[in-house]
Amino acid sequence: MVHTSRGGRRSLMAAAVTGVLVTSLAACGGDDGGGGGSDDPIVIGSSLPLTGEFSQPGQAAEQGYKVWQEMVNADGGLLGRQVELVIKDDASNQNTIVTDYNALISQDRVDLLLGTFSSLLNLPASAVAERNQMLYVEPAGGSPDMFNRGFEYLFFAQQSTADKQGKVFAEWVAQLPEGEIPETAAYPTLDDPFAAPNVAGIQAMLEEAGVETVYEETYAIDTKNFDTIVSAMKNADPDLVVHGAQFEDGIGMTRAMLKADFTPDMFFQTNAPSFGSQFTEGIGEDNTEGVFYAVSHSPDADTPGNAEFVAKYEEMYGGGEVPEDAADAYAAAEVLQAAVEAVGSIDDQQALADWLHENEVETILGPLSWDETGAPQGDFLIGQWQDGAPQIVLPEDAATAEITRNWTPGGAG
Amino acid sequence: MTVFLQSLVLGLLLGGVYALAASGLTLIFGVMKVINIAHGAFLVLASFITYTLWDVVGIDPLLAIVITTPLVFAIGWATYKVVVSPIRSAPMASTVLLTFGLALVLEGAMGEIWGNNSTAIRPSYADESFTIGGIFLPKAQVFGGLIAVAVLVVLWIVLTRTWLGRAIRAAASNPSSAQLVGIRTASVAALVFAIGIAAAGAGGAITGVLYPFVPGSHYQWIARLLAIVVLGGLGSLNGAVLGAILFGLAEVFTSTYVSPSWATAVPYAIVFAVLLIRPQGLLGTRLREDAVAA
Repeated sequence: MVHTSRGGRRSLMAAAVTGVLVTSLAACGGDDGGGGGSDDPIVIGSSLPLTGEFSQPGQAAEQGYKVWQEMVNADGGLLGRQVELVIKDDASNQNTIVTDYNALISQDRVDLLLGTFSSLLNLPASAVAERNQMLYVEPAGGSPDMFNRGFEYLFFAQQSTADKQGKVFAEWVAQLPEGEIPETAAYPTLDDPFAAPNVAGIQAMLEEAGVETVYEETYAIDTKNFDTIVSAMKNADPDLVVHGAQFEDGIGMTRAMLKADFTPDMFFQTNAPSFGSQFTEGIGEDNTEGVFYAVSHSPDADTPGNAEFVAKYEEMYGGGEVPEDAADAYAAAEVLQAAVEAVGSIDDQQALADWLHENEVETILGPLSWDETGAPQGDFLIGQWQDGAPQIVLPEDAATAEITRNWTPGGAG
Repeated sequence: MTVFLQSLVLGLLLGGVYALAASGLTLIFGVMKVINIAHGAFLVLASFITYTLWDVVGIDPLLAIVITTPLVFAIGWATYKVVVSPIRSAPMASTVLLTFGLALVLEGAMGEIWGNNSTAIRPSYADESFTIGGIFLPKAQVFGGLIAVAVLVVLWIVLTRTWLGRAIRAAASNPSSAQLVGIRTASVAALVFAIGIAAAGAGGAITGVLYPFVPGSHYQWIARLLAIVVLGGLGSLNGAVLGAILFGLAEVFTSTYVSPSWATAVPYAIVFAVLLIRPQGLLGTRLREDAVAA
């Protein structure tokens, strides 16, 4: 019905190139003004994935930053000055995040920076901060690759890097008595700088404990169809599945497993199960029973300021549940606040970084401290879905419920 | 053999849904020479409308197609009249820019209305399968695939067996001559745009049941759909169907026999290879230039 001439193809090419240019330009943010004299507000800049593929955690992180801003301003501000946040939208795009942080530093002239969400975006964004010798505390970028670049100004405000986030879970599995310890395991993972090392860390520990690997594959970030991966896993028949996921692929993979009637005894998944009711809506509440995950924050934890944070969050954004990503962002701001208050100035960013390298900070996630690369030195909590609610099951001193071994999905609905 | 048959079935089911989603894109290009970058956004919009009908009203999401499709048809018609029609005769780059902007507007509007949270439509059969001889057939994919085939057959009958279809094909191949024989090409264009968007709407209702989505999901869809219609031949409905099935099969077989990490890349490599040999795509033909210069 339709025909394409050489000229037509040239037009197509021109149109495609134009589209790419527009895509790049469209995400550039505007100017919002920066801080100035000593009585002016302290301006803190960040860019978050408020739209695009990572919009869900990005918006939660924005909420966390805003809760901190409200609380710190109500408490007299930072160094006696009010705090003003400038938050741009990077549309989940690695190119735009670089543009945004360059603009925050050179055009908005912000006084301080806070990080973005995901290792994918924090990798380039932290490089911009490092080049400009500005402190960069980030709430959600735990890839080991973040910390092998010799950066001095980078700090990750969670308990451990991605490769160690499943450590407590793997240690628990490894010590299970004979007959209960899974004999075989499958390791599907998203090709993502956070998810892949997370799974690799667990796999290494479980292989050392004698758990045989019967399936391991990485899938591309834009994978939508998980049926064939699940079909292959089902043929391998593992006792345990450790899935490295972000949110949407976590839901997609679990639904594909249910469709194929592939329900291994044990199921650990990164990221998606920590999304509260969105996880239950995504896969069905009955199907969450027994799913394991690693998590940085518990609303019930008895950590300094946690109850106040949870109450303020619920006041600002409604009750029900506090997203982990909002808590992580709040903790990143707490780390920044601690450094500024300890140094007593925002002018010497090197001094702020030096102080964080040498000290521990109490946050709502618990105490955080860092090595010379900015990698944190603690352990993650392990969560498990039980009776339609997320519980902390490991380590024992932080547990809100007894751990159970099996994933027992109850079918659709 | 079971693994091969399983992959074949899953690939065909996936291709069927891709075909429905891509058919509108190729139809719009065929008649109007507009590359509708907003096509994926309309598909996601239909998913959100379907979600609302299912979540709020309780209508089965696949049966809701009878509501979603006319609704999205009307939105498509209005979009053409208000946004596309004024620049129809502009260079193709302008329409790409316009429809890209439209995609961003739709993404923003969906974010405002439904939020940027991931959304999933899960009817009672969403996580169930038929099992035949060791091969599992996900019910949602089977129902969705059958509906996709039914809609495509209706579309094909309209295009090949009705006066309207002849008018559309005439307007596509030679607008000036079509006008000479009394075809109102402007009205045909509006109708085709709306039909094309409606096809995306039907596809969106199905994909919404199959995969979770956010407003930003349209970027992934438009990349796939453009590759499919280029593979099949821009403007060819049969080509879009063939391209979609090949694309779906390539995705599934790559995942099964090579690696899931290559599953989204290999189909594009096939598109590239085909275009090197046949630049107009599998079933596309070269654009006819009117022989007589003015």
